[in-house]
Formats: sequence, C-alpha cells, structure tokens
Amino acid sequence: MNARLIRLRDFDPLLFLAAFALVGLGTLLIYSGSFSQFGSPDGLDFSHPVVRQAAFAVTGLVLALLFTRIDYRVLGSISIGLYIASVAALAFVLVAGEVTHGSRRWIEIGGTPVQPSELAKLVVVITLAKYLADHQEQMGSVRVFLTSLVIAAVPAALVFAQPDLGSAVIFAAVWFGMAVVGGAPWKHLGAVLGAAMVAVPFTFIGLVTDYQRERIALWLDPQRDPLGAGFQAEQADIAIGSGGMFGKGLTHGTQTQLDFLRTETTDYVFSVLGEELGFVGAILLFALFIVLLWRALRVAELSRDMFGRLLATGMVIYILLQAFINVGVNLGLLPVTGIPLPFVSQGGSSLIALLIGLGILQSILLRHRPFTFRNFYGG
Amino acid sequence: MMRVPRAANRPRWRPRRREPQPHERFQQRFLLLKALILLLFGVLLFQLARMQIVDHETYSTRAESNRLRMIPELPPRGLIYDRNGEQLVENLPIFSAAVVPAGVPDDQLLTVVAEVSTLTGVAPGEIAGLIAAAKKSDDPYTPVVVKEDLDDTTAFRLRERQADLPGVRVLVESVRSYPAGPFAAHYLGYVGRIDEQEYDELRAAGYLLNDHLGKTGVEYVYESVLRGTPGYRQVEIDASGRENETVRSVAPRPAGNLVLSLDLDLQRQVARYLQDAMGPSLNGVAVVMDVNTGELLSMVSLPSYDNNVLTDPVDQKALPALLDDPAKPLVNHAIGEVHPPGSTWKQITGTAALQEGVATVDTTITSLGSISVEDEYTPGRVWVMRDWASLGTMNFYRGLAMSSDVYFYYLSGGYYQNGREVFRGLGADRLARYARDYGFGSPTGIDLPGEVEGLVPDPPWKEETIGEVWTLGDTYNFGIGQGYLTITPLQLVRATAAIANGGDLLVPRVVHEIVDEQGNVLQGVDRKVARQVSISNSNLAIMREAMRQAVVYGPARTGASSRVTIAAKTGTAEFGRPLPDGRYPQSHAWYVGYAPFDNPEIAVVVFLEKGIGATNAGPVAGKIFDYYFGRQHLAEREGAP
Repeated sequence: MNARLIRLRDFDPLLFLAAFALVGLGTLLIYSGSFSQFGSPDGLDFSHPVVRQAAFAVTGLVLALLFTRIDYRVLGSISIGLYIASVAALAFVLVAGEVTHGSRRWIEIGGTPVQPSELAKLVVVITLAKYLADHQEQMGSVRVFLTSLVIAAVPAALVFAQPDLGSAVIFAAVWFGMAVVGGAPWKHLGAVLGAAMVAVPFTFIGLVTDYQRERIALWLDPQRDPLGAGFQAEQADIAIGSGGMFGKGLTHGTQTQLDFLRTETTDYVFSVLGEELGFVGAILLFALFIVLLWRALRVAELSRDMFGRLLATGMVIYILLQAFINVGVNLGLLPVTGIPLPFVSQGGSSLIALLIGLGILQSILLRHRPFTFRNFYGG
Repeated sequence: MMRVPRAANRPRWRPRRREPQPHERFQQRFLLLKALILLLFGVLLFQLARMQIVDHETYSTRAESNRLRMIPELPPRGLIYDRNGEQLVENLPIFSAAVVPAGVPDDQLLTVVAEVSTLTGVAPGEIAGLIAAAKKSDDPYTPVVVKEDLDDTTAFRLRERQADLPGVRVLVESVRSYPAGPFAAHYLGYVGRIDEQEYDELRAAGYLLNDHLGKTGVEYVYESVLRGTPGYRQVEIDASGRENETVRSVAPRPAGNLVLSLDLDLQRQVARYLQDAMGPSLNGVAVVMDVNTGELLSMVSLPSYDNNVLTDPVDQKALPALLDDPAKPLVNHAIGEVHPPGSTWKQITGTAALQEGVATVDTTITSLGSISVEDEYTPGRVWVMRDWASLGTMNFYRGLAMSSDVYFYYLSGGYYQNGREVFRGLGADRLARYARDYGFGSPTGIDLPGEVEGLVPDPPWKEETIGEVWTLGDTYNFGIGQGYLTITPLQLVRATAAIANGGDLLVPRVVHEIVDEQGNVLQGVDRKVARQVSISNSNLAIMREAMRQAVVYGPARTGASSRVTIAAKTGTAEFGRPLPDGRYPQSHAWYVGYAPFDNPEIAVVVFLEKGIGATNAGPVAGKIFDYYFGRQHLAEREGAP
C-alpha cells in the first residue's frame, strides 16, 4: 500500500454543500408535509418531525466528519464483519420487525426506529468495493464474478422478503454498476442480464407476493382502486401536476395540507415539492443531485486505489438509483415502492447512512495523493 | 562509417510511452456513468415538464375538485294547503345513520361496519355492500344512508361515537307527514328517496345521491315549485371529508307553497257519502268540479290509501297490504281507470244529434221495450236491442229524461224497416267525432300523474284492433254508452261542466295557486279552456233542460237536492258476461249532474263499480249537492249582519 498524505485542502466542500442543501430543502418539505398534523416545532421538541430530522442531520454530519478523519482503508479491512452484522440485522427484521404499510422494515433501538436495509446498502457498497479491489487480477474468473454477485444477492433477497422490492433493485443495480467499473467481463455481465430478463416473469408469478403484484397492477392502472392503494399514486400525480411552474407556495399545497397525499414526508416528499415549489423547485432539486453525483464521481476519478474508486462508484449508483426510483414513483413512471429520496425524505437511517457515505468519500479525497516530495513540500 | 544504433537514441528525444494513469483507464466507464446520470434525470425532467407544464390545467382542475365540495343547501320543502287554508303537509325532522365512503380508511372499514351494525341493527354485509358500491362511484364523498328514522337513543349514541368512527355521520333529514292521510292522498301523492334512474336523470339539476323528490300526486307534478331553488356552500374539505372552511355560499331561495283546489271539508263528506254507498263495489269515485274554472273541489277514489305509509321513510309493515289489495287503492280511479259510461253518454249522443240535425226537440220516437234489427251480413237473422222499459212515445226531452235506449238507438244508428231507412241516425263516425270533441279518448291534461285516456271506438278502430266489421249493433251500443266505449269519471264530469257552462271544455286543475310564505300569490293557476265544444248554445240549452227534466220525472230524481235545483243524468253500464236472456247480471252505477240549474257552479260525477245509477249513485250525488249548497247557505247566513 502506498504511503498517502492527508491534505485537508483536498476536502471537497461542494460535496457537503450540495448534500446539506438537499437536507435543508428536505427539512422545509418535511415541515410543510407535517404542518397540518404537527404545526410549527415548539423549541427542541423531538416528537416533531422537523426537529428529529435536524437532529439526524447533525448526528449524520458528526459521523461524516468522523469517517472523513478515519482512513477509508480501515473500512475495507473490517468489511467482512460489517457485512455479516448487516445480513444478521436484515434477517432479524424479517422475524421481529415492525410492520408498516404491509411491509416489515423497522426495528426499534432505544425508542428510535432503525431501518437496517438503509445501512446495509452502504455496507454492501463497502464490501463489494473491497472484494472487487482485492480480486482485480482475477476479474476474468467466474468464481470471483459469482462471489461478488452473492455478496449483493443475499441482502437483496432478505429485503425482497420484507417485502421491499425497491431496495432489492438498488442492491442489484449497485452490484451491476460496481462490477462494470471493477472490470468484470462483459460476457459475464451480459449473461446475468439475460438470465434476469428470463427470470423476471417467473419471479413475478412465483416469488412476488400479492402485495407487490397489487402494487404493480396499481401502477399500471391507478383508477383500479381510487380510494385504496391506488389513491396515493393518483393523488401524488394530481399534487405534482397542479403545482405547475412555480408551485403553490410552501405550506399552501392543497393536496399536501388537506392530507390527500399520504406518507408526504417520506416516500412522497417529492410530491410536496412538486406541488408547493413547482417545476422550478424540482429543477433546483435535480441540479443539487447532479452536482452531488458529479462531485462524488470526481472522487472515483481521483482515487488512487481501486477500493476507493469502487467505493465512490457504488455510492454514486446507490444515490442515483434511489433518487431516480423515488422520483419515478412520484411521477407515476414506476410502480409504487417505498424508497426514500436520498437526503430529502424524513428518516434517520437513510440520512445517516448517506452522510457516512459522503464522509467516506471525503476520506478518499483527503488521501488520494501519493506521498512524494513534491507533494510533501507543496506544489 | 560507424553505424550509430538509432534505437538507442530514440528514447532521448521521443516521449516516454507511459502507462495510462488509473483515472484515465476508468475515464470511459465514468463517462458512461455520467451519461447515465444525465439520462435518468432527463427522463424525470421530461415527465415532470409533461405533468407540470403541458397537463398542468387538467391536474389543477382535479386538485380543485378534490379540495372543493359543493354542499347543496335545500330550502324546506314547500307546504301545501287546501283552498280554505287548511295545512295538508308537515315537514318533520328525522335522524338517519349515514357513512361517507371516502371517509372510511380501508384499515378501519371492518371496525366501522361492525360498530354501525351493532348500533343500528343493519346487517354488516349490507353496510359493507353500500360502502363498497359508493366507493366505486364517482362521488364517494356524499353520505350514504344506512338506516333511516333512527330513534332518539340510537341517534344520540351514534353521534357520541362519531369521533372514533371515521366517516360515520348522523344526518338530520326532513320528511313529509300528511295529517289528512287517505282523504287527500290522491291529490298529494308522496315523497320518496331518489332512485338510481331518477338520480341519473336529475343529477345535472342538482339532485344528490340521497335526495328526496315527489313520486306522485302534486308532490310529483309540482316538484320544482316545492323543492325551491337550492343554494349551496362551497367548502374546502380534507381527504377524510371533514369541512375546513366555507369558501363561498349562496343562500337557497325558499320553495313555493301550493294552495290546492281541494276543499278538504267537502272531500271528507264526499268520501263518507261514497263509502256508505259502496255496497259490493270494489271501487267508487266521486268528483266535484267547479264548472267555471275546472278546479276539482273534491275528488274521492275509494278505496284510498294513507300516503304516510309510502312517503319516505316507507312503513314496510303496512306496504304489502296496499300493494296486494285487489281494489288497487294506489290508483286514482277518477283518472286512472276506464269504464263504459252507460246512459250518462246520452247527453253526448243527444247534443251531437241536435247539432247535426238528426233530431230536434220535437223528434218523436216510440219505444215498445225493444227494437229488432236485421243483421246486415246474415239476412234473416234478427237482433233484439232492449230498452230498460216500454216507455211509449217520447219527444227529445222525454227521451233523455226517461233515458230511453230505443230513442238513442234511433239517434245514433237510425232505424231500418224491411231494409229501408225510415230514420237517419248519426252513424258511428259522426258520433265518434263529437265524442272526441267532448274530450273523450284523450287525457284531460289534469295536473296529476297517472291519467289514462279511455277509448272512443269507430269502424276503422274495430277493424284494426278486433279484426271485425263495425255493425249497426255497434253503433247502437255506442249511442247508449255501451260496447267498446270507455271513459274516466273525470272526462265525464268535465264534459258535463262544458254542457253547463255554455261549451267551455276546461282543463281540470287540482292546484289553485302558488303562494309564498306570507301567502302572497307567486303564480296563479289560470283557468284553461282546452277548446269550445262544437255544440251551439241553443242545443246545449236544450240538453240542460232535458237533464233538468230527468231530475224532475226521470230516474235521475234520486239525486235531487232539497237545497238546490239540479240537472243530472243517471247511467247503468252493464259489464261482464250476459245471461242467457241477454241481460247482464252486473252493472256500473253512474250519476252525473250540475247545480244550480240556472247558474251552474259545480258539476258532480259519482261512479260505483257495482250498482244501478239511479238506485246507488244518485243518492250519493244528492247528498253532495245538499252538503255543498247547505254549507254555502249556512255560511251566507252567518256572514249576514
């Protein structure tokens, strides 16, 4: 391992600024989305969603700085442990988790609901990065390829069983993207893609639960049950469409404030934005995401080692897909799956996992230059 | 010359071929990833622009219709009075249990259904069915009534539980009560909940899913007056249907009140007199019409029904008896059923004959109890047409007064001896023309539903419908109000009113005027003349005199009044199967007349489904004339200083 120099000048403020702009925007939307039920926060009242979210953001920031300080390569060495712990947590959720909206996703830790699948996504990124980086010389081998696939498939299967189809898709996409960047042979990747294509119809019939099938049917035809589950998708469309160019103004969206929107601070937070801040607000959101992803890709480009490069790539794919699926669901482009909008949706597990991820990216940045005299003496 | 190895020199001036830097090696893949980022956000942006810019208007409208609900505000339904100001309807409040389908969250549906079922006693399956059906409709926000007319305790308990049973409402609805019950039921009709078909037709007019409307009677015909003009409140509601604030409101305009032509006091008496005379009759009818305006002061159809049973909420226990009664109490027999008029038809045949010059007052005809008619198509076969008695030689007055069938056989069909015409009659075509002119064979246009038109037969009709040739016998029967001819009592009393008033065929009316709450007339209901009958005044005067003589010395004297001079005519219309001797065992009793003779005010018709005109119907009419003019006399005396 090359010696590295920690240079604080390499810290990328833009990466954090974009992320915290998203968190800020999200907090405003959570404020509006919870307004009809909670009103304005009254001091440090931790039962208020805005206060909770702010607390999570602060916690996340502290952890991010901590992980910036820690050499990311340490994570590689403990990735096996993290991975086993995550898989165990996912399995535990299946047995003893709390059920919301027909799906078993939460466990309570000290009064705070924790969603292990959100943390597991970060851990899978780390584990895959480590495994693929360590096996760069054998990337042509089927064994290595399949092992990497299994690393993603185990947690994917566990979240699929919750059932959380969206998160399972994220695991799959993260694996695929990292395998591509990690140099997996195209013929292997193509074979997996082909197998997936063939398997989808069978999965739909055999493995997908009634709950998921119903959700997909509703996505195809929201009018099917205008007051049941299709109601959400329908009302989200109305909220976004009625927002128009400039929106109805924060806390003035009728769909949001009169509770036509459901889960308006989590899965459907984008609909609040669409209704109250309009097309312009959505463009701001997209711009922030693109800046964030660009800066995260820059980390991948600059990283001196494969582990860092794959870590950053994994984070980019994780954030990109999660944002795309969430907004796509809000816009009626994709079937309803309960996936949070990164940095924006209310929820501590997702936010903290993401901020830790960004901290790791900063850690990669700070350590990307080789230890040379020129570097040492400045230049 | 020494060869300098060129290869060794090359690195000195050519750039070193270096290994590509890692970030360069991955550049291509990262470029792909960047393209993917832009592509995915591009897709989202495209869809977003479609929704927020292209289809913005559509979504806006849907958001508004989500948010804003028009809550109609109905004025209290208009009241109805008789012509003397007696109130005939009351609006009473009742409590109903209802559910707003959109207000019941799916996960609480079972709890709500179970609780509502326990409190109201309605089967859970029924409640769930109602909710499921309304959820699929395009208006899941209007409350669906689960049970009407809750008792106070249940209403109170349900209202207490409203807070923890989302979507459950206790509605206060207004229902009708009819103090006069059966005495005015055929005038008033009743009010019921809107049915599916009516809702489809009327929703554009502002009717709601659980609305009420008049189903028959004046409640039906004057629905728009009695309903008034609904106002509305436009309110903002949240997703569970709770009202947030009123955005706009328009006050309802009060409904009009109706003053009927009905004289309830007279009606009660008429009903009593008729009831007493019913005997074996399935039905009886008596109508008192103002001969100058066409207003019906009284119209009794027996048996009647209590409209409190049928008005919403329907009394399910009493309903089957009403529906199964063979006498059909729900039918207003004055307008809804037809019978042959018998001899009361002779005024029509008589005036037609006078007008056509077939007869004059001096036309004398002798009745020996019957006439014989040779069959036109079977030579040698002879039909015997009976008279009710051997009445001797009669002029026109006596012929009508004594109700001689033979006299009117002559006038309608003529008389033939040995194939030679010795008296030329009207013939079926001319008689049919006059019958129609008097308004028979078509509805009178009364402002009540359920009127039937009856039948004026003629030769083409017989051929088309029965497929037989019209015979002279048919003309004879037609002339005395038998055979195929059928009429309603109302048609007869109106034709009689036309004879009395100088020929104005009036449109009968049950509503006198429309007034506001203070009693100011909003709209008078004008006297309407359908047409002038084509009988000259002098011929009408002859008929009036003939009808007067019928009361003096003819069978119609059974209806004479001690209080007023009347003119009238009896009728006994045979029906059913004839006995072997040609007589009929059953007959309808008719009596029709007007009074006072010299200055007509009212015309009266009495019909009994079984009976003899003079014996059974006449006395009823007599009592009606007595009561009407006796009461008037009393009122005049009391009013005098």
